[in-house]
Amino acid sequence: MNSKITAKELSVGYGRRVILSGIELKIQAGEIVSLIGPNGSGKSTLLRSIAAQLKTIAGCIYIDDSSISGMKENDIAKKLSIVMTNRIDPELMTCEEVVEAGRYPYTGRLGILSENDHMIVRESMESVRISELKNVSFGSISDGQRQRVMLAKAICQEPEILILDEPTTFLDIRHKLELLSLLKILAREKNITVIMSLHEIGLAEKISDRVICIKDKGIHRQGRPDEIFSRDYINELYDIDDELLELAGHQGLV
Amino acid sequence: MNNKIPARSAAGFVILVILVFVMLIVDLMIGSVNIPAEKIFQLFSGKCSDETIRSIILKIRLPRTLAALILGGALSVSGFLLQSYFANPIAGPFVLGISSGAKLTVALVMIFFISRGVLLNSGALVAAAFVGSLASMWFILMISGRVKKMSVLVICGVMTGYICSAITDLVIAFADDSDIVNLHNWSMGSFSGTDWEDIKVMVPVVFITLMLAFMLSKPMGAYRLGEEYAMNMGVNIRRFRISLILLSSILSACVTAFAGPVSFVGVAVPHLVKGMFGTAKPIVMIPGAFLGGALFCLVCDLIARIMFAPVELSISTVTAVFGAPVVIWIMLSRDSKKYGGRS
Repeated sequence: MNSKITAKELSVGYGRRVILSGIELKIQAGEIVSLIGPNGSGKSTLLRSIAAQLKTIAGCIYIDDSSISGMKENDIAKKLSIVMTNRIDPELMTCEEVVEAGRYPYTGRLGILSENDHMIVRESMESVRISELKNVSFGSISDGQRQRVMLAKAICQEPEILILDEPTTFLDIRHKLELLSLLKILAREKNITVIMSLHEIGLAEKISDRVICIKDKGIHRQGRPDEIFSRDYINELYDIDDELLELAGHQGLV
Repeated sequence: MNNKIPARSAAGFVILVILVFVMLIVDLMIGSVNIPAEKIFQLFSGKCSDETIRSIILKIRLPRTLAALILGGALSVSGFLLQSYFANPIAGPFVLGISSGAKLTVALVMIFFISRGVLLNSGALVAAAFVGSLASMWFILMISGRVKKMSVLVICGVMTGYICSAITDLVIAFADDSDIVNLHNWSMGSFSGTDWEDIKVMVPVVFITLMLAFMLSKPMGAYRLGEEYAMNMGVNIRRFRISLILLSSILSACVTAFAGPVSFVGVAVPHLVKGMFGTAKPIVMIPGAFLGGALFCLVCDLIARIMFAPVELSISTVTAVFGAPVVIWIMLSRDSKKYGGRS
């Protein structure tokens, strides 16, 4: 079986500055993949490269069998959608208009949505339960709501691959669970490949089919959650040493 | 609920078109000789025998009024394009010093050729202005690559504007040909002296550019969510940004070549139109900003002509009186949103 996303001898970074190198990936359709690792290890850089937002420094990323550097922007847009961490502040846009932007790759020259497009927009908004925000200004909603609006936008783009950078950051525990179960549904029912970075390793363990650990300028280890989540390995990944454990233990934190 | 915004935009369009038409007629009526409206309608239906009225309207007032309409609209759209580019409502061709750059090159080219006894056609002036606006634009983009703060960018733009204006004034002061007296008027900003030859050049330039800008409304819409998301929606960012810069430079260059620098229209009018339409969708805003700019300049040109007649004010003086307060208002409301509004 061919994989959905393949990376061969990939180096990613900004300009000439290499952040991660020697990356080999084979991700299947419908797989949920979490990237974990310390702050600044390069999780976002890898995600941005897979999303074709950053030029790769060396090596190649393939969607199905075609290299993304050779694909047209609009064709990538139909296969892959993103939810990023940066805050956007569009002027005078309702939540519905933000979600509608997800249909742009499918519209004609002037970006006018068809009846079918509008239906998909409605369904996407329902699936993340933000239908009631439809006519509310995007500037006036909470961070958690914004996150869900951006997710609805990503879903209505009808991607085969969904890339999320720290999607749980602004969400409370209930919305975190809601988001993750939604991702699970998307992966199982629509066979969407989900790749995301997560800080909450507990959540990563529960939701992921595969966990990729990023450390020391490359992939440190990857595998099924039960292969990764041993106490010793997590301590090693995040550089938690005995001294820190002892200190935290004293204060009743561990 | 869903139809509310289109309905509001449609109403906005109807109101703007009516007002532009009314002001067009009013501008033709009022002047050193007042001409009643029915005479103007008679003239256009070919039933006017009065040769004086005919020549006042057709030779002087109509071209000037059309220039105010077309160039006012062009300037406002140019401002809207820049605001999209910088994702900031206070960007505009005048504020960023782009108009002044165009003014400088036009003045230099004019003086160079006048002193050699060559009279330039309007197309050549537009080209000169285009080079000047691109040069200032390039300078501003260099700065924006270094500093991300819009306020710094605006200050640099205003300063560039002053430098270019100073050099222009200097060049004009030292040029000694009598033709250059006209240059002085032009460098202050005015729609007077527009003839049909000018209109013949500005109509195709402005309308082709507007059409191209309108075709960009889809990527502009995507770009409102920021570069990352726009890219993910299939926008070729590099090509898109270059197109925005070129189109907005052509529009503001065209205005400067014919009317000199006209202040604040590019910032104030798009903002007012957004408020009127209740949306900032580019597909609505591009035609909306054009109509709004046309209306604004028709009103301002009328005021410039009649306020202290027979002395004529420069158009920039009038547009600044109405436009600058809007700019201050935008900055204040943005600031209070940043520090007060969100919890």
